[in-house]
Amino acid sequence: MIRRAAAVALGLAMTATPALAHPAPLGIGGFFGGLLHPLFVPAHVLAVLALGLLIGRQAAWTGLVAITFILGLTAGLGVMTLGVVPLLMNEAVLAFALIAGLLVAHARSMPEAVGCVLAVLAGFCIALDSPPEAVTLSEANRMLLGTGIGAALLLIAVAAVAARLTRGWPRIAARVLGSWIAASAILVLALRLVR
Amino acid sequence: MTRPVTRAFAILLCLTAAAPALAHTGDVVGGFVGGLAHPVLGPDHVAAMVAVGLWGAFLGSPAIILLPIVFPLVMALGGALGILGVPVPGTEIGIAISAVLLGLVVVLAVKPPLWIAAVLVGVFAIFHGHAHGAELPPGADALAYSLGFVVATGLLHLAGIAIGLLARWPAGRIAVRTAGALVALSGLFFLARLA
Repeated sequence: MIRRAAAVALGLAMTATPALAHPAPLGIGGFFGGLLHPLFVPAHVLAVLALGLLIGRQAAWTGLVAITFILGLTAGLGVMTLGVVPLLMNEAVLAFALIAGLLVAHARSMPEAVGCVLAVLAGFCIALDSPPEAVTLSEANRMLLGTGIGAALLLIAVAAVAARLTRGWPRIAARVLGSWIAASAILVLALRLVR
Repeated sequence: MTRPVTRAFAILLCLTAAAPALAHTGDVVGGFVGGLAHPVLGPDHVAAMVAVGLWGAFLGSPAIILLPIVFPLVMALGGALGILGVPVPGTEIGIAISAVLLGLVVVLAVKPPLWIAAVLVGVFAIFHGHAHGAELPPGADALAYSLGFVVATGLLHLAGIAIGLLARWPAGRIAVRTAGALVALSGLFFLARLA
């Protein structure tokens, strides 16, 4: 039941069409605006999708990687509340999408520590790349809280679905998807380098 | 695999392709649709991409899995070279020759060791990627365009693989080799046009 709900949630999540980068999605502010935020930034979607596929495809991994992702998110959002907005965070998120995509395409077992490092850094950068567009401090905090929960839920949903892709064409499709994510990230990073 | 999860994954694949279509610019030419159309509108690219899929299907496992995973990644590296302005000599000739050679290996049912096939396809991927990267329209939304471009390439491979799977039957083998011959002939035509 939980898996079905996760799958449905993921499907609905992926129907989000326009990437409006950072303004409140669909004009929704506050907690729910933050909740939807990770779905409206393509680089975040790619990174979380790649990381979720990676977690789901590593049979020996425990839930530690997802927990470190949440810790990274929390740390990043904490830094964000101090008013720190570092540069090049979107590019950093893309770089993590690239690494995770390559690891998904490679499809080899690896130590969970690798996933933990990747997840904590990706979570941290995603949080720092999600500055809330809010008028009041309390609304900004609610948006940040929503962003953290939204990104964590998305990761868990993707990982839950990816964990089921153990044989046949879905397993291959997961690797191909990882390859496509990595290829897209390579192209965009090259473009960002020259523009 | 349970049916809901399979369905959810199918939805995920489709919607992942569709989601970032209007990111940032909303410009059809520069966005996802522009990237999606770019490889499809170049007959030389189409011929070579389909031939990669045909050959992969002909070679069977693991090439049928490996080639569509490796090609987008190496193509993206070629694309990055194009975007960064690093010259790759003879790009157009390389693309035309890729159609000729990939068509011929299908016609002749050549089955080299996997690493030779991967290197050959990888070299051609550099040419194709470089051409795409160098032709990227200015002002295009990078991530949406790149996703469209990579997805279109992957779908052309899948089309080739789908046709290539006919090789399981004797009449199908003839059909696949005929398709290879058509690709090789189209490559010769592209070469003649360049001369």
